[in-house]
Amino acid sequence: MTGRERIFDGATLLARWALGAFFIWMGLHKALDPVSFLKLVRQYDLVQTPPLLNLIAAGLPWFEIFCGALLLIGVAPRGAALLILAMLVPFTLAIFRRALLLHEAGGLPFCLIKFDCGCGSGEVFVCRKLTENLLWIALSAWLAYCPRQRLTWWPRPALPTTLAGGS
Amino acid sequence: MKTVFRQAALVLVLGSLLSLAANAVSPRGLKLTTDYFPAAKAGPGARLGTLPPPATAGTNDSFASVAERLRTQGLQALDHPEVAALFHSPDFAAQKVVFVDARNDQHYQAGHVPGAWQFDHYHPAQHIAAVLPACLLAEKVVVYCTGGNCEDSEFAARMLTQSSVPAQKLFIYPGGITEWQTRGQPLETGPRGSGVLLPAKP
Repeated sequence: MTGRERIFDGATLLARWALGAFFIWMGLHKALDPVSFLKLVRQYDLVQTPPLLNLIAAGLPWFEIFCGALLLIGVAPRGAALLILAMLVPFTLAIFRRALLLHEAGGLPFCLIKFDCGCGSGEVFVCRKLTENLLWIALSAWLAYCPRQRLTWWPRPALPTTLAGGS
Repeated sequence: MKTVFRQAALVLVLGSLLSLAANAVSPRGLKLTTDYFPAAKAGPGARLGTLPPPATAGTNDSFASVAERLRTQGLQALDHPEVAALFHSPDFAAQKVVFVDARNDQHYQAGHVPGAWQFDHYHPAQHIAAVLPACLLAEKVVVYCTGGNCEDSEFAARMLTQSSVPAQKLFIYPGGITEWQTRGQPLETGPRGSGVLLPAKP
């Protein structure tokens, strides 16, 4: 293994741990106060049916913790990263949509809009949150794509000799 | 990528089952079939969080608009002078008027209208056995939450009507605990009837 490959593997591992830790932290915040999360999910006006709304508010935080834990311990990391990507993209679009609504309703400059997006970090400036989410989206997309994963329990690593992607 | 999708499917199934189980055993878990927002009015304007003008500030215009909105939902609103008059009336001491605090335990313990019953409608089973008899016996039930954009008092009142408390007995105090405190009214801390009163601010 070349030095370049070692650095690449190390960076991928750190990215995986960072994403995993971030999702555990965010998930815990919501799981410990599901009522607040329920109210925030309702504010997005995406779901009207009570059981579906409750299902999202009750299940999503724990699901985030589960995916984060899988990334940390290295079990099905690419599948977990793909699911995190599938959660992040619609949520980021929903945040953008809500920020646009607030922008149109209040006339505030877009980047001065601040609200609790239900992400688990309290009130945030929307531009900062969107930038942050775009970074996490890029990272999770990379982790889902990258076949070289160090310290995984399942599936066992079968490290290719080149940096080429694909499975 | 086929392997990745297979992994994702497995994680999705297992994660969903574990998430539902975690919610079911969590003391803070939500009941999936409960409608926590009964008869809520649709429309993004009511849900924009920080933007709608607060109903607490005590202006007649904001109170009138909230009262009108509540009226269309079959609920009645009381402004601060009316609520304060009820609190200081002999009917309150005789429990013909009761106050219901629709906030969560942490906020309730930090300070509520003296003698108010707690009814956190997100966890109705914890409160309904105590609050329902008091509401059924009373002639007037004043329900409040934080004030401002807080809608929990409305949802709690709706849930009380579903538990056979007549709607004509129920009154929403839109100003909530924020206005109550701002207007210098006393607060009780800890559980109901603790006797620990925070003095009214002049």
